[in-house]
Order: sequence, then C-alpha cells, then structure tokens
Amino acid sequence: MTGWHIDAALLADYERGALGPSRVMAVDAHLLACASCRGRVEVDTVWLAGDWAAVFDAVHAPKQGALRRLLGRLGLPEHRIQLLAATPALRWSWLSATAAVLAFAVAAAYLGQTGARVSDALFLVFAPILPVLAVATAYGPPADPMQEITDTTPMAGPPLVLWRATAVVAVAMAMGMAAAVLLPGPGWYAVAWLLPALLLSIGSLALSTIVPLSTAASLLGGAWLAVVGTAATVHRESSLPVIFGGTAQLGYLLAAAVAVAVLTVRRSRLDPGETR
Amino acid sequence: MTTVSIDGLGKRYGATVALDDLDLELGTGVTGFLGPNGAGKTTLLRCLATALAADRGRLRILGLDPAVPAQRTELRRRIGYLPQNPGLYPQFTAYDLLDYVAVLKEMTNGQQRRAEVRRVLDEVELTDRARTKVRKLSGGMRQRLGLAQALLGEPQLLILDEPTVGLDPEQRMLFRALISRLGERRTVLLSTHQTEDVGALCERVVVMNSGRVIFDGSPRELVAAADGRVWLSTTAPSGSQAYWRNADGLYRTLGDQPEGGERGQPSLEDGYLLLLGTTARVRAAR
Repeated sequence: MTGWHIDAALLADYERGALGPSRVMAVDAHLLACASCRGRVEVDTVWLAGDWAAVFDAVHAPKQGALRRLLGRLGLPEHRIQLLAATPALRWSWLSATAAVLAFAVAAAYLGQTGARVSDALFLVFAPILPVLAVATAYGPPADPMQEITDTTPMAGPPLVLWRATAVVAVAMAMGMAAAVLLPGPGWYAVAWLLPALLLSIGSLALSTIVPLSTAASLLGGAWLAVVGTAATVHRESSLPVIFGGTAQLGYLLAAAVAVAVLTVRRSRLDPGETR
Repeated sequence: MTTVSIDGLGKRYGATVALDDLDLELGTGVTGFLGPNGAGKTTLLRCLATALAADRGRLRILGLDPAVPAQRTELRRRIGYLPQNPGLYPQFTAYDLLDYVAVLKEMTNGQQRRAEVRRVLDEVELTDRARTKVRKLSGGMRQRLGLAQALLGEPQLLILDEPTVGLDPEQRMLFRALISRLGERRTVLLSTHQTEDVGALCERVVVMNSGRVIFDGSPRELVAAADGRVWLSTTAPSGSQAYWRNADGLYRTLGDQPEGGERGQPSLEDGYLLLLGTTARVRAAR
C-alpha cells in the first residue's frame, strides 16, 4: 500500500466519466484497495470487485493451446481439459517422440525396398507397445512429480488413472492409425495391431492393481515381445498371420475382456490410500 | 475437540519399522512433529493425508475412517496437504497450477474455481505472481504456492511436511505468520527439524523417534524437561560430557553438571536433544 491518494481533479473526471479506459481501470483498482478514497466517491465495490475478478481471470486463465482446443472440440468440458492437460504423456515432448518413432517406421517401410516386409513386421510388433508406454507415463511417481499431492485429492485413484489412461490410449492409437494407413503393406496392417494394443493397455492397468504401473507395463510389454519373438522363430515367414490372424485377434479380444473384468473388480486398488 | 484419533497405527517398509503401534489424539490448533530423519514423521503425515495406507491400526480423521473408500474420498475433500517435495510442475504458472489442483479437488464450476484460486493466491500474498511460471519463483514463493494449493477448498485439516525447510529467516517469518493464522480455526499438523518453528508456532509438540512417540506435551513442558540439565562454564568440561562453545565464549554442557558449571537457561532445542539422547551419542563418539 502506497501513501498515494486520488487527487480532487482526477476524482472529479472519474465521476463525470471523462477518463479514458486505462485511467478508469487504474482508479478502479485504487478504489478497491483504498478505503480512504472510497469514502470520497460513490462506488459499488461489489460490482467493482466482480469486474476486476473477471479481468484477473481473463489475464491469468490457462492459455488455449492446440491440445486444449482439440480436446474442447471433442466435447470435453473445461475442467476435464484442465485435468488432462497436466498428463505427462500428453505433453508435446512425449507426443513428438511418439510421432517421430512412427514416422521412422513408415519411412523404413518405404525406403527398405527388399526389407520392407521386415519393417512392416517391426511396426506391427512395436505399435501395440506405444499406448502401453503412454499409459505408464500418464500417471505414477516417475512420470508425475506432483503425484504426492494428487494422491490426497478426491480425484485420486481410479477416476484420475482411468481418465488419463483413456486419453493417452486414444491419442496413441490415433497416431498409430495415422501411421499405419501410410504403410505400403496390405490394408489389414492398419488395424491388426489395435486389439493387441488395447489388451496390453488394459492389461497393464489391471496388473497395476497388484504391482506398480511401471512394473506392470514393463512386464506386459516384455511378455508381448517374447511371445511375438517366439512365434517369429517358430513360424518364420508365416509368423505375421499367426500373430495377427483371426484366431489370434479373437484371443486378444477375450483376454482384453478378462482384463476389463479384473480392472473393474479391483479398481479400488488403484487408490494410493488402499492397502495392496 | 479431537479431530484426529490414531489407534495402534503401524507401518513397515520391508524390515524397517516406520510406525510402531502409534496412539495419539489431536485437536484444533497447530501441532508440531519433531524428530530425527527416519523417525516416522513423514510416514505418519502421509497416512493422515490418505496418500499411504497403514499396515495395521485405526485412524479416525474429522469423524471419518480413511480405510473405507467412500469415507476416504469425503475426507480428501476436507484436507489440505503440502508434502516435503511438492514437485510443483515447473512449466505451469502459479495460477494454472492452482486451477489444476482445484480441478483435482472437484471444483468443476469454472467461476467458483477461479474465485477460489484468487482467494488462496491472496492469502499467501502471491496475487502479483499469478502469471509467473513455477520455475521462475523463488524457493520461498514456491513454498507459499505449495501452501496455497493445500488451502484450496478451505480444508479443516492442514498437513504440512517440513514447510519451512530451505527458507531464509524473512520467508520463514512470513510462513510462520501464515500458519499461525490458519491454526486459529482448523487443525494444522506440521513436521519440522526446526525447534524454533515449534517454539514460535505450536501449542503442542509431539517428538517421535524410531516410529514411536517419545514426548507429547506443550513446548514449555519440553523446555522444562531440560531444566537443571543445562550448564555454562568458562572452561571446557574435563569429562566426556557433550558441550559446545557459545557466542559468549562460555561452554554449554547438556546432561550432568561439569566442574565449575553454573545452571543455564534451557531452550526447546536442549529439551529435544536431551530427550533423544543425542548427548549420549555425542559422548560415545568422542
């Protein structure tokens, strides 16, 4: 608080409405803070305070970046957008890295010539792991430095984990789909990895009710690579239809359904305040 | 009035006992938890803040049982927690960060949420820093921002883990003023290594060691525990007493009276050190 007060001439101009907008705002701000000057002029402080609060919010409210605008267009309410905006795996650095990996896979498929089939296979094998990595980095102490505060809020546990997981899986899958349609191989390549990705993502969440999320994601990601590696060794040239064929897809779907059931039953275990 | 009731609380990390059958009743006002590293202060505060589940025992906080999921969620609506390392997102502005935590605290109405953000910014005197990114705030300001997020929603129970660590004397004084004001109308639990903070702020002090409560009383009572065990002398004690030379050039000894020693005025720190048996350890190390 300074010792300055509005002089008589300025106050008279303010009352007559003879001041420009910026000077009116300066006088308004002073009147809100100075009881002495408020006593010299008739002013509605409730209205003034509300007016200033609106200005304050307009200046300080979170900026509408591209991600927030996109989430808004998808129909998410403002508070949900604010919640997801802090998700580590929805930050530009993470999204850029994912996009770079996918772009590299697509480029390798085109440029590989004779090795194109190998590149396609690599894409199909690694694409399901991207959403799992996104889930693993969406929540939990290694990824979220504010975890300890988050854990003590009413949104902690299942609500926050599931919101963030859904958001990052959706984004990772959309990016994967965009990359897959650019692949030179058969059309089914674009969708063949989706069910394994869904299974690994939901499976990681279900397993995280027993072990930490990062461990769960590592275990399932590793298991997927081990299974695929074994199938590739055993079936060699025909391994892709075996891993991504109709029978295998049905198996992924059933396993995903089991993972959903486990997650539903054990969801309270996602709460840090719950005994594991 | 009792707001926090702790009954036989136990927690282990592998072979390490963090909390050993703890019993406590806490009420409105500021209660300070003192203790060396590993005493169990942070584990206890994390259990009270619902960030951690105890292995055994019962908790009753603000009339609610945190072991019951629905009551735990309700409890989270009524508590504010400032951890030792809040990890505030460095890329967020102060306003954005509070707005985000307010969403986590289920404030879905934008207008009401923003009003609450303005209120807590004002309470910790950071209104003029609302647009500043967290990484550009000073340590003291960051700590006040951490306190502001804990104050969102006007919690009835405020849990602060080492809130004054790393603050310069001026910032610490500002923080103390804030906390003492907050303790007038709610339960404030704070852990600290600083006996000065406890003396300046707390009506009650709980000293912990090895997961147990070894003292529970007023700061005055803790000072009184050192009465007759603090000595001043012009020469260094000849025995194996724990002593140090103070600013007046006198040797301050804790424990048994040294030769030529005159009775000194005990402080809260003296009471704390004697209680922990630190002097015995110093003697043993010599």
